Amino acid sequence: MTRKRSITAAISIAAAVAITMAGCVGGSSSGGRQTLQLWFWGAPPQQQETMQKVLVDGFNASQSRYTLQVTFNNAVDKNVQVALSAGKGPDIVYGSGPAFSAQYAVQDKLADMTAYAKKYGWEDRILTPMYQSGTVDGKLYSLPNSIEDIGVFYNTRVLEKLGVAVPQTYSEFITVMDKAAAAGLYPSVTGNQGWKPVNQNYISLFLSHVAGGKTMYDALQGKIPWTDPRIEKAVRASADFYQKGYLGGKDYSTLNFDQSMQLLSQQKSPFFIGPSLAFQFASNYFNDKAGNTADLGYMTFPTVSPTLPTPYYTLGTTASLSINAASKDKDGAAEVIDYMMTSSFAQEMNKTWPGYWAVPLKNFDLKSADYTGLSKPFVDSIKSTIKGVNDGNYGFFVGTFFPPATATAFTDIDSVWLGTVTASTFLQNIEKTFKEEQAKGLVPPLPEPAN
Amino acid sequence: MVTTVSVSPAHRIASGRRASYLRRKSALNCVLVAPALLLSIIVVVIPGALTLLLAFTNWSGIGFNFQFVGIDNFEKILADPVFATSLRNNITWLVLFLTLPAIIGLLTAALLLGRKKMRTFYQVIYLMPYVLAPVVNALIWQTVIYNPHGGVFGLFGIQPPSGSAATSLYAAAAVDMWHYWGFLTVVYLGAMRQTPGDQVEAAIVDGANGWQVFRNIYLPSIRPTLLLMGVMAVIFSFLAFDYIYLLTQGGPAHSSEVMGTYAYAFAFSSFEFGKAAAVGIIMSFFGLIASVLYTWISRRDVTK
Repeated sequence: MTRKRSITAAISIAAAVAITMAGCVGGSSSGGRQTLQLWFWGAPPQQQETMQKVLVDGFNASQSRYTLQVTFNNAVDKNVQVALSAGKGPDIVYGSGPAFSAQYAVQDKLADMTAYAKKYGWEDRILTPMYQSGTVDGKLYSLPNSIEDIGVFYNTRVLEKLGVAVPQTYSEFITVMDKAAAAGLYPSVTGNQGWKPVNQNYISLFLSHVAGGKTMYDALQGKIPWTDPRIEKAVRASADFYQKGYLGGKDYSTLNFDQSMQLLSQQKSPFFIGPSLAFQFASNYFNDKAGNTADLGYMTFPTVSPTLPTPYYTLGTTASLSINAASKDKDGAAEVIDYMMTSSFAQEMNKTWPGYWAVPLKNFDLKSADYTGLSKPFVDSIKSTIKGVNDGNYGFFVGTFFPPATATAFTDIDSVWLGTVTASTFLQNIEKTFKEEQAKGLVPPLPEPAN
Repeated sequence: MVTTVSVSPAHRIASGRRASYLRRKSALNCVLVAPALLLSIIVVVIPGALTLLLAFTNWSGIGFNFQFVGIDNFEKILADPVFATSLRNNITWLVLFLTLPAIIGLLTAALLLGRKKMRTFYQVIYLMPYVLAPVVNALIWQTVIYNPHGGVFGLFGIQPPSGSAATSLYAAAAVDMWHYWGFLTVVYLGAMRQTPGDQVEAAIVDGANGWQVFRNIYLPSIRPTLLLMGVMAVIFSFLAFDYIYLLTQGGPAHSSEVMGTYAYAFAFSSFEFGKAAAVGIIMSFFGLIASVLYTWISRRDVTK
């Protein structure tokens, strides 16, 4: 190799390394602006477009110091996990929820956002349970991008065919599902194919609606054990519900949310039981092009326990936003998060992407009349959930509020449903796992529900 | 009697040159081996040693904070009924992979051996699932075969096996075997074609039928290949992960859980890397047994 070639090769290698490093670590500069990185879930193209337009273009136009770049990837959770562990990764950390963030916070991988919370007044603006869920030892480490409830999507045409109205009570709900089964339909559609943690939705639902949020709160504080009879009753109720075929019939393991929503639109079932974020899947099958937008309705899951108020919510979050402790532009990252915690951002995102952007604001100042399509019922559902949260009528979603190993242990609820483990043994294992995590300080702080 | 051996100056010079040559050669050998050795140390030895070390800690996978917990991780894993299910499933997986793909592969290779035309074409067709990414194969089966709506099972109104606790492991194994048997066919065919033609001809002249030629000529001839493929099947059976994770995620209710998915859940869902490392060590142990067995059988064959 000649000297000239050697120099050229060395420069090329150096350039390649520099470009790679620029891609790996945030804080690079472009055109006088600092570049901020956000790694996001691999959303469908239409939703990526919305994100680009509303978040990226909107934020970049709103100030002159930073350029936000969003990278979409389906394996974002694992990528973030590996990058943070190595002291790298994006400036704004998109995670699966406060329990995820707590793990990284205790290992100093996330920046303390308390000062930014004061600067931007987040504590005053954001729903108290949502704000508190992101704190560890009194310091703020994450904010949820969106709240969610686990409710029931229904197809009005199927209900009409069955000759029933939208159920108002749990017994009416069960009656309709029985009627649907008798008519050769699925009682409801849902499934965990490809994502086992879907199970967490349904155990959270029954813990909230049978044991109640207050009992869950006491268990999470360690005041009562997870083997408490009220919790065991909830676990048994979830098993009974599953065994009667009320969760996707025999196809629970071979359906996913997207297919379930498609089946609902094809009138194969009156109901889809799932998180409100499923509105984003609904828009693929209930839309103006198909002429069936008005067929889809959403209601809160009917309260199961007569001692709990109606409506009663299963409160969860879609994802969490934090600042990477290794970021060189923490101020810029905080500015992006603040931009996402506003009514105007929520307003724009929800126009074309219902389901994912119920920004947890105390004053969710969105009017459903301003929206069309599925954004309209979504905005209504969130306003109703926020009211429920403010009234204290909610239980907790396992994936959001429980420490990770305990949440994973709850994912195994299908062992109880399929009868391979008893409810009692299952809860003994939960108790053991929870105690270990509680000793490590991994339980996020929670506000006490009213009921 | 005293014997005096005198070394001439010329001999001493030659000997010195030879020593110098050997030193240079040895240094050159070291330089040539160094990259591969360094790579092996970085990619295999260090991670292996770290995994062994971490198996005795409570490391969460984040940061550098951990405590040594002795054999606590191993005790907890061995007491967990899910581990027993995983191990049992790995053994079932092993039995399936040592038998079905091997039989189908041998049979197909034997049939292709007698076929001069189109043999290459068939080999390419058989290799296609093997060269496709597991995620593609899994998606094809999930959508076209195991789909309760629009798939083959849905068409016949039968519950897909991937959705039942009794059959989920076999559902995942079927896809993995489907992707694997074509590769075995090509390997076995290659080995059978190395069988000396005169032995085959002699057997035919002696009146041996097709089965007898296969049993007494081809089978002994491809024995080393069969052995190697068998050992590989043992090793890979204890490392099984991709098709199970993609198709059933170890469910429903851990019915298709194998040690790979069991370890993955510890590492990436519960943040218990110490336990995941412990499961990894147990998995490696079975692979090690297979490797030792293979080495022992190979040496015994050479000695014979």
